[in-house]
Amino acid sequence: MIDVKNLTKRYVGRTAVDNISFQVGQGEIVGFLGPNGAGKTTTLRMLTSYLPPSSGTVSIAGFDVFRDSLKARKQIGYMPENVPLYEDMRVKEYLYFRAKLKGLSGKDMRERIGKVMDRCGVTDVRKKMISSLSKGYRQRVGLADTLVHAPQLLILDEPTNGLDPNQIRQVRELVKELGRDHTILISTHILPEVEATCDRVIIISEGKLRASDTPQNLVNRLRTAGTVSLEVKTDPAAATEKMKKVVGVRKVAKDSVSEDGWCRFTLRVEATCDVREELYNMAAANHWPLRELARHNATLEDVFVEVTQAEQV
Amino acid sequence: MRTFRILLAKELRSFFLSPIAYVVLALVMLFNGVAFYASVRILQTAPSEGSLVTWTFNSPWFYLSYFTIFPLITMRLFSEEQKLGTIETLLTAPVRTTEMIFSKYVATVIFYCVLWLPSLLNFCVFQWITRGMTEIPTGQLIGSYTIVLTMGLFNIAIGCFASSLTKNQIVAAILSFSMILLHFLLGAFMLYLSGQNNQQFAELTSYFASIQHIKSFASGLIDTRPIIYYVSFTALVLSLTHQVLDFRRWKT
Repeated sequence: MIDVKNLTKRYVGRTAVDNISFQVGQGEIVGFLGPNGAGKTTTLRMLTSYLPPSSGTVSIAGFDVFRDSLKARKQIGYMPENVPLYEDMRVKEYLYFRAKLKGLSGKDMRERIGKVMDRCGVTDVRKKMISSLSKGYRQRVGLADTLVHAPQLLILDEPTNGLDPNQIRQVRELVKELGRDHTILISTHILPEVEATCDRVIIISEGKLRASDTPQNLVNRLRTAGTVSLEVKTDPAAATEKMKKVVGVRKVAKDSVSEDGWCRFTLRVEATCDVREELYNMAAANHWPLRELARHNATLEDVFVEVTQAEQV
Repeated sequence: MRTFRILLAKELRSFFLSPIAYVVLALVMLFNGVAFYASVRILQTAPSEGSLVTWTFNSPWFYLSYFTIFPLITMRLFSEEQKLGTIETLLTAPVRTTEMIFSKYVATVIFYCVLWLPSLLNFCVFQWITRGMTEIPTGQLIGSYTIVLTMGLFNIAIGCFASSLTKNQIVAAILSFSMILLHFLLGAFMLYLSGQNNQQFAELTSYFASIQHIKSFASGLIDTRPIIYYVSFTALVLSLTHQVLDFRRWKT
């Protein structure tokens, strides 16, 4: 559906996107992640033909976005960051305008607009001025606009930016639902959302492609795949030394020592082994009172941090 | 063509549904009314050369509206789209940059024509009240409105260009005002120089001295040279606007 080859965007003195290549297949939901300023928006703008690349090619459903620009654009429903809308139009009017621009007309158009207004929950505000809408409604109007011409591909740039938790959940449900019959490329910072909805994750940082895989594989591949937290009553220095020797422990960090002698540690451990049994035995053998021992699985957030901050590894 | 019509309808709609349009319309009507009134007074007090039409279109009030209209009606065009970011949604829909520019340009020209219609009414009403006692030469009227339209084409193009350069409407307005004023003053200055110099130079200046064009057209002389001059410069400035908007896409 999307085929990006060696995409590069250079500005004066700075490379925003550096030689990125990836594919997105028909029907996939792909999360596009990266820290702020990593080049996400620039990449999405190049995919939608708003910005021309310095080099490299992008094709959407077989159409090159620069040579067959208009045809490629017809396949895309694009929602830019912060959802720009005409403030002086009413919701229904705006959707009619956009639908006409995208080549719809007549009865077909009216039906489509009715359908997307229902789907995005904007039917009850259809006669309101866009300038009077709340952030959540603006977002939904933007989404209705991207869906109106039934595009094969949806490109959403931070669709949940600035929404409250309920609205974020609604958008997530909507994205999941849309994913059944659309290909979706979604850029966001809300990682649990990506874990819940996306088939695949692409992470970029400083303009370079850092990872592209399913969320599960990425988590499994992460070298320090998990952490174990432990609370014991003992001398922290000696305990740290002992715990470091356990096979599978990469790093021991002392979080806090309470006044009555309880020490809290966080241990980074290898993905493949479970060190809890050994830690328990160690505590028992040394007569350390133990009141907590828990393992936390790595999340996409850990992957994100590790991949985008090289020095953290 | 279909896209152009849709965009044109949207642009016209946002012109006629915005309060600015009616403020500008009222302002222009006021200026034209005063210009007309002043001309009637001049002709009333003493016998003088020229008709009601020539006096109206050479009055300072006419120039006041001439200089204020264009920045006011063009400043919004591209600046607002860039400020709101809607230019991104617009240009990622199947819309060509040229279609966007032409729709905005043509809508502004239509609105500009609407702005001048009431002033034509002044003459009709006057003729009706005086029951044909005064002579309003049709040729001069046609000439005046022709030059107002052709200069409008050119100045609106300048306004579009200024608006494409910035996100800020105020900056766009000041830019277009300065450019229009500069073009006008350049013509006036050359005219002044040619008064002191030789004949050849005077002929050359007649090509771009707006003040001279208005004078000759208002006296009923329809000269094709200024029309060609303004229309070809309109084309040039509009193509520059296209370059600016596309260049923006290359840069930002």
